[in-house]
Amino acid sequence: MISPLSSVVLFHLGPVPISEGVVVTWGIMAMLVLASVLLTRRLSLRPSPTQAFLELVVEAVDSQIRDTMRVEPGPYRAFIGTLFLFIFVANWTSLVPGVDPPTAHLETDAALALLVFLAVIWFGVRAGGMRGYFASFASPTIFMVPLNIVESVTRSFSMMVRLFGNVMSGVFVVGIVLSLAGLLVPIPLMALDLLTGAVQAYIFAVLAMVFIAGVVEDAKPSADDPERKSP
Amino acid sequence: MSIDWWSLGLQTINVAILVWLLGRFFWRPVAAMIAERRETAEATLKAAADRQAEDKAALADIEKTRAGFAAERDAILAAAQDQAETASKARLAEEASAATARASAASAAIAKDRRDAENSWSLSAATLATAMAGRLATRLDGAAVRAAFLEWLLQGIRAQPEAMRLAAAAEASLEATTATALDAAEQDRCRAAIGEALGGHPDITFTVDAALIAGIELRGRHLEVGNSWRADLARIGKELAHGA
Repeated sequence: MISPLSSVVLFHLGPVPISEGVVVTWGIMAMLVLASVLLTRRLSLRPSPTQAFLELVVEAVDSQIRDTMRVEPGPYRAFIGTLFLFIFVANWTSLVPGVDPPTAHLETDAALALLVFLAVIWFGVRAGGMRGYFASFASPTIFMVPLNIVESVTRSFSMMVRLFGNVMSGVFVVGIVLSLAGLLVPIPLMALDLLTGAVQAYIFAVLAMVFIAGVVEDAKPSADDPERKSP
Repeated sequence: MSIDWWSLGLQTINVAILVWLLGRFFWRPVAAMIAERRETAEATLKAAADRQAEDKAALADIEKTRAGFAAERDAILAAAQDQAETASKARLAEEASAATARASAASAAIAKDRRDAENSWSLSAATLATAMAGRLATRLDGAAVRAAFLEWLLQGIRAQPEAMRLAAAAEASLEATTATALDAAEQDRCRAAIGEALGGHPDITFTVDAALIAGIELRGRHLEVGNSWRADLARIGKELAHGA
């Protein structure tokens, strides 16, 4: 058994090694984009069952953004929704024999955490400008600046480790049980792994919303600070 | 354990591209369709609300028209009732007037019939009395009766105004009517007594009229003295008729 902690390089594009996780990610991307193109070609005012399901997904994401971030979901829908969909589908690729979930590799989780880290900066600057974003580190007092800077890094790191640990452990346990007990014994653990994958996708998306909402709220110009204008 | 930085970078780019692609091909179209459907539904609801408001207004107009109909019907009924009451009162008044007229006519007819009956009975009574008096007169002494009636005639003549008596005495002829025929002696005696009462010597012609029953009457151009039972019965009958 290959250790899940190691990244298997399938081929090289010039000097760039292409690992299995990247290839699986490309497959997931192709599937999601192709499905999106195909399913959204014939949207109409009288929705089909498929369109109703798609609208249900979008409405669920919008509802979560409204409830968690207390803002209109338009600017955040694509990022939060794509994070959830990608992690959800990636976690469930463990159902495909011979395919490891990309999220079971640290590089993918680190990439997702890095994107959240960058998104927090992007939405913070977008909400309050550079001055507002940096002022958010001084919330609630100026003495919190060092702790807030450390927190902005460590919370992204914790997201990475949480997702990696949960998914990797599931794959690891299923692999160990499969190597020891045979074909049918790991099935309950695989079902549990699917549940864990769905929950982790939801948690990752909710945490991303919480972090973005926190910096957006802190970066917004307050009524008693007329010098800070929104961009 | 080590981190493959190439994989980290590629995965970061991959997910960023996926965010853009899904935003372009999934989230935005579906969200736009949701918004369009919501706007359509809101427009439909607004149109339905407007239609409902129009229907309510139309219903209010209908109710108002119905109320007008009801008021008009009440007015028509009230006018018809007043007209019927007026006609009924007029008809009742006419009937009462006609009934009063009929009652008056009936009363007048009854009174006339009563008067006619009374007159008839009076006439019958007078006729009967005349007949009875005639029969009774046949039993009386003719000479004595004639003397009594002659005396009453003379008193009647004397009661006349003197000018009338003188005028009568100057007439060429007077007519003395008796119930029974007088012999010549009685005629002379009557002629003398009458002439004395008149104060002259008029020419007197004697006639007989049994209808007098008893008595002697004198008639001239200027004098007329009724002195008979027929005249007495006629006078008594008039007095009774007036007394009734």
